[in-house]
Amino acid sequence: MSATEPTAAAGVDGRPRSVEALTELLSRGPVVTVSSLTKRYGDVVAVDGVTFSLDPGTVTGYLGPNGAGKTTTLRMLLGLAEPTSGEAFVFGRPYRELEQPIRRVGAVLESNDFHPARSGRDHLRALALAAGLPLSRVEEVLKLVELSGAATRRVRTYSLGMRQRLGLAAALLGDPQLLILDEPANGLDPAGVRWLRTFLQTFAAQGRSVLVSSHLLAEVAQTVDQVLIIDHGRLLASGRLDELTSGGQTLEDVYLELTTGEAS
Amino acid sequence: MIGQLRAELLKQRSTQTTLLLFLSMFGLVALAVTLHVLALSADQLSTRTHQLEVFQVGSRAGMLFAGLAGAIAITAEIRYGTIRPTFLVTPRRGPVLAAKLAVSGLVGLVFGLLAEAMMAADAAVAFAVRGIDNQLSGGDYLQLLGGGAGAAALWAAAGVGVGALVRNQVGAVVGLCVWMFLVESTSESFVPGFGRLLPGGAGLALAGNSDDVSAVVGALLLALYAAAASAAGWRATLRRDVA
Repeated sequence: MSATEPTAAAGVDGRPRSVEALTELLSRGPVVTVSSLTKRYGDVVAVDGVTFSLDPGTVTGYLGPNGAGKTTTLRMLLGLAEPTSGEAFVFGRPYRELEQPIRRVGAVLESNDFHPARSGRDHLRALALAAGLPLSRVEEVLKLVELSGAATRRVRTYSLGMRQRLGLAAALLGDPQLLILDEPANGLDPAGVRWLRTFLQTFAAQGRSVLVSSHLLAEVAQTVDQVLIIDHGRLLASGRLDELTSGGQTLEDVYLELTTGEAS
Repeated sequence: MIGQLRAELLKQRSTQTTLLLFLSMFGLVALAVTLHVLALSADQLSTRTHQLEVFQVGSRAGMLFAGLAGAIAITAEIRYGTIRPTFLVTPRRGPVLAAKLAVSGLVGLVFGLLAEAMMAADAAVAFAVRGIDNQLSGGDYLQLLGGGAGAAALWAAAGVGVGALVRNQVGAVVGLCVWMFLVESTSESFVPGFGRLLPGGAGLALAGNSDDVSAVVGALLLALYAAAASAAGWRATLRRDVA
């Protein structure tokens, strides 16, 4: 990961890696490249010149207060919103120009993007059909998120945890190398949070990458290996979690110091 | 594109929205036909022209509910947020809209056919009960079914366009109802001859309910409206950010 934005915390990235690691990374290229990304809504600058890139195999927490610009960044990265200026690439190209995007990137932006009267299975089938994926893949992802037993039920009967898992199932349909999740742990009970954490760790252990936005810092600290901290649309810090917190500070200390100016 | 069409067909089948729309249309046609046939005097129902006017109910209902089905095909995705996963799978968006237009057109065709058939059956019974001679020929019925189905299919395409432009589901549904029941019918009172050139009036000409305008002109006019509405909705959908 590299960042050209001002970085407040010590020990931020940019340190040399081993030659083997570099060679490996260069051959695969970054999974996400965001440069000078800006989004304006009238006078409001939601995202203000954000620059970062993510290497394959990393789990990155994208942190910031509500309204900091996290979701807007992710929407631009996924081709749902058009940047005012700057670039947001996944696998070296704009999302919209990827050949079969969901075979490379899986994303969940909202926890409840379902028609309440449609069954979980039909929700996934409609997406699989549009993506040209075999319907057997629907059964595989249902099993993966432990929803096979509820597949024929209408989504309106699902609990929040089940909806989160159905959203993940949709993101996993294409067996992607990169997972992008916006506030996935919001509203989950402890069992749901643990399930999600285990899931993400398993996903990352396969050498795949995750970009997850959140403001549940304690949860993030257990799951990610690097963080980006954003507030008022600007990237305030980025780097490896162990380096950001190397001065004996917790992630919460670093985060609050940056986003509220409150010294710990 | 086959996959997109199958996806849209599955979306139509996997909720009860289409069925509910159909049942509402059925109820509306039955009620309106019965009221018309019972309320009008025998003189007002004696000629072919009068009877074809009563049959407007079926054509209007077919067009309106086809338009609603088209509008809901896109606004339900926006309302429930499924537009996000839909566009994540197909980020260029055009194929999604093309499939929605095609499938909604098909649904509209079926709605139009069923509305005219229900209308004809209902009117036949009502005429028989009152002892009124049915003046419509086989050709009239053919035009009602074929033209009514075509008009409804075009309204469905226009509905997709309106839905894509308006985005708000309640707004699009109310807007289409107000248009069909208020704007089209009252405009005729203020500007005679104008109503028959509007989308509903053009559809009535296509179905043979009114011969103020020829069926061909009606078809061309309605096709133009449908093309304009869907082109505007298409353009907006490709340009706008998804919330």
